[in-house]
Amino acid sequence: MSGRPSSYTPLDEIYKIHERTRQAYRSGRAKSIAFRKQQIAQVGYIIKDNEDRFIEASKRDLGRPPQDTIFFDFAGTYIDIKLMYDNVEKWTKPRRAGCNLNFAPMGPRVKAEPKGTLLIIPPFNVPVFMLMGPLVGAIAGGNAVVLKPSEKCPACAELITELVPKYLDRDMFQMVNGGVAETTRLLELQWDHILFIGSTRVGRIVAEAAAKHLTPVTLELGGKNPVVIDPRSDVHLAAKRTFWGRVVNTGQVCLCPEYVLVPKDFQDTFVEAVKEIHNFFFPEGPKRSSSYGRIVSEAQVLRIKRLVDGTRGTIVFGGDVDVSERYVAPTLVKDVGLDDVLMSEEIFGPVLPLVPVQDVEEAIEIIRSRERPLAIYVFSQDKVFLNQVFENTESGAAIANETVISAGVPGLPMGGIGPSGYGYTTGKEMFDQFTHIRVSLNNPSWVDKIGFGFRYPPYKKENEKFLRALSPALPPRPTEKTSATGNS
Amino acid sequence: MSMLVPTPIDEISNIHRRAREAFFSGKTKSIAFRKAQIAQVGYLLKDNEHRFIEALKQDLRRPESETILCDLAGAYIEVRSAYDNVEQWTKIQKADFNLNFFAMSPKLKAEPKGVVLLIAPFNLPTFLVFSPLVSMIAGGNAAVIKPPDQTPACSALIAELVPQYLDNDLYHVVNGGVPETKKLLDLRWDHIFYIGNGRTGRIIAEAAAKHLTPTTMELGGKNPVVLDPKCDFNVAARRILWGRFLNCGQICMAPEYVLVQKEHQDRLVDAMKEVYASFYPEGPENSDSLARIVNEAHAARIKQIIDETKGTIVLGGDADVSKRYIAPTVVRDVAFDDPLFQDEVFGPVLAVVPVNSIEEAIDFINSGESPLAVYVFSTDKSFQSKVFDNTRSGAANANEVVITTAIPGLPMGGVGGSGYGYYTGKQAFEEFTHWRISIDNPSWADKIGFGFRFPPYKPSKMLAMLYPSLPPRPAQGKNSKRASTKSGAGKL
Repeated sequence: MSGRPSSYTPLDEIYKIHERTRQAYRSGRAKSIAFRKQQIAQVGYIIKDNEDRFIEASKRDLGRPPQDTIFFDFAGTYIDIKLMYDNVEKWTKPRRAGCNLNFAPMGPRVKAEPKGTLLIIPPFNVPVFMLMGPLVGAIAGGNAVVLKPSEKCPACAELITELVPKYLDRDMFQMVNGGVAETTRLLELQWDHILFIGSTRVGRIVAEAAAKHLTPVTLELGGKNPVVIDPRSDVHLAAKRTFWGRVVNTGQVCLCPEYVLVPKDFQDTFVEAVKEIHNFFFPEGPKRSSSYGRIVSEAQVLRIKRLVDGTRGTIVFGGDVDVSERYVAPTLVKDVGLDDVLMSEEIFGPVLPLVPVQDVEEAIEIIRSRERPLAIYVFSQDKVFLNQVFENTESGAAIANETVISAGVPGLPMGGIGPSGYGYTTGKEMFDQFTHIRVSLNNPSWVDKIGFGFRYPPYKKENEKFLRALSPALPPRPTEKTSATGNS
Repeated sequence: MSMLVPTPIDEISNIHRRAREAFFSGKTKSIAFRKAQIAQVGYLLKDNEHRFIEALKQDLRRPESETILCDLAGAYIEVRSAYDNVEQWTKIQKADFNLNFFAMSPKLKAEPKGVVLLIAPFNLPTFLVFSPLVSMIAGGNAAVIKPPDQTPACSALIAELVPQYLDNDLYHVVNGGVPETKKLLDLRWDHIFYIGNGRTGRIIAEAAAKHLTPTTMELGGKNPVVLDPKCDFNVAARRILWGRFLNCGQICMAPEYVLVQKEHQDRLVDAMKEVYASFYPEGPENSDSLARIVNEAHAARIKQIIDETKGTIVLGGDADVSKRYIAPTVVRDVAFDDPLFQDEVFGPVLAVVPVNSIEEAIDFINSGESPLAVYVFSTDKSFQSKVFDNTRSGAANANEVVITTAIPGLPMGGVGGSGYGYYTGKQAFEEFTHWRISIDNPSWADKIGFGFRFPPYKPSKMLAMLYPSLPPRPAQGKNSKRASTKSGAGKL
């Protein structure tokens, strides 16, 4: 293997960066809300002032058309910046808590406090949003941060590494670049929270490392997101939005639809609709299209190629790759069985398997038999059909008549469940993870004279009623034994 | 001393499986069902209060008043809070209005995580079992409870009553010690809630990591008290000693040490002597108002700390390990490197540490792990702020100790070495649920805005409409900004 890239942070520098960041946090300057707002705004200008350079870097790293960069990397970041900037004051104000008469004289309050020094490890596929978004959440929370951008996107990582110290407080927000060795070194250190977005395999490694320090963790991992098609639905719409979701960012979005559960008798109709959409999207063919991107690396191309070559389904279109160009054709495969190689791992590429099913019940069974995904997509205009699928499955997102874009909707936190992860990477819920609630009260001395005095030894039996008075009355006792215990 | 019957190891996987099946049966979707189960937890306790009081007398020789106050009140409060709020908490919520996205009806709903494991500690085996359990039930989960093996009477009672009052398929009790806990940790859970110490917490977090299971850690800490010389020493002494000797010192929120300015140490000690005499007019060993240590091993551990301290014992100091008796003890002139500071004492021993200044007190607090609570006795707001603003802890309480646990609306949780996550209230409900988001995008959305996203891409202004404009650029522009003052940022 060739020597370490010069852009990688030397291993013995990493400990020092960690220390400097911690010291910067301890300086207390992030207590100022004005400071936090200023830094959040600056993150916005990192991107805004340099949009063209980011578009160029994404093109080099991912072969990505500018529109994908704007849609996936910029839009979400600007949305989170506005959210944090507009709300940081409100979210960090101390608030009165509880409205219990017994304790009111003590003035109970809650306040969101920073956790301290955070480590954020974003993935390669959305290298700006998945770094800057959590970064502004962390800043809003008053934390210091070390960022480890993905080495699989060297141009983006280099650009971010250049710009962050130019725009942001140099000691509070620092960059570490590198691969496995550097990440391992980072994970040996103590953090107050780690946010990791990436593969399930590495997610486990991060969680195990964090466990040694009792560090809380947010994991945003992978999964195979299914699409369920109601044969009565608008097939053109379903085909368009599903296929778009599979080819956007060249299939490299954790929220991409990974397989379609289509009623057997409807499969051909659906296939025809998708073919039409394919031609509409790429009138000169995908390889020549300026609206179609590339895969992040040759290794990933080979991995996807292996899956496609191994399928026992029927390739309807696509199937070809060009390794040196990191090109994988948008590929549709029909009649894919559940044990097909395309169903064995997350494809994370522009290949869409169609799995024919008998009916919606079978589709639900299949989804339930597999690991819980980040999202489940259902195309139907029938509320009953939609509810049947969603009520009988679990996922981070339950999306009707659309794919992927839930990540960018303000107010909807993105997060997984089970092997797709835990915690949230956008929105207020993300901010909540980067802070802890510090409770407080101030108990005047006179409360002991009027009620709380009974708590002191020596305990007297006649005072027990005062202690009991602290407890509220119970709700009514459930009457029917069956509804109460659920046991027959 | 009652014998706790451990759950057979090979039964444990079956229990796990039954809980999973019960969860997937969908029975917990009904909010009415959840409310009934929550109410039943209340009646499990209320109908059997005397048995719990007796069991805790056996396990911890705990006075009845303390059981009512510490172990039962908090559980009832949680029952009421969850019962009254679960409908609200589980309602579908609409995301705030946004012009670009409102057509998609963005919504979110709190969904159960699934099957959760609760590992409870020995010190408050009723409150710390039933309060989290209620939150788990409110969230719609199935639950397996592992009560502490060090309190056999109470844990046996829990194992007897849970199947009588609660759904037998969804909620299970597994009793036992290390082997049973190990077996539980091999299985896959959707959340693990652990209350205990940091060493075991690490083991549990590592086991959870293998399954990518989220966890809540409610751990210990050495909670300091900082005393303002201007405060009322009588009130302070009374509340501090109450908090330290409650449950014979076995309370995670109890104050572990007091930082007082050296010139005022004598006055504090005198006040404490008076309070002590008022608490135990016939001496602590004869008092009905003092519990015991949970077992001989812990009693021996605490006795050793007392024997090894280099401070001066001014109150108590005696111990009888075979009776699990540790006298409520106050040690003065304790230095920072004293054996009392090696670990959480978790016993009725209070260290009084003379300091030169409040800054010294703050520095010492910050030199250790972040505790569950920092306590300040002072009526001077700036004294309070100085301590609280320069320390980190789960709770920051003035002129009181311990009782935050019972206050509705105040979530219990640590930070740093004292843990992460919360129990009680809405925050606990959120530990045991996840947000499931939803949208339903009408087809016409593509005609009016979202159509631009489809290839072939054309340069489009529509994209820019999707996202908001930036806040104003900070006045000094690119980074020259490094705050020169400790307290705030540079000017904008």
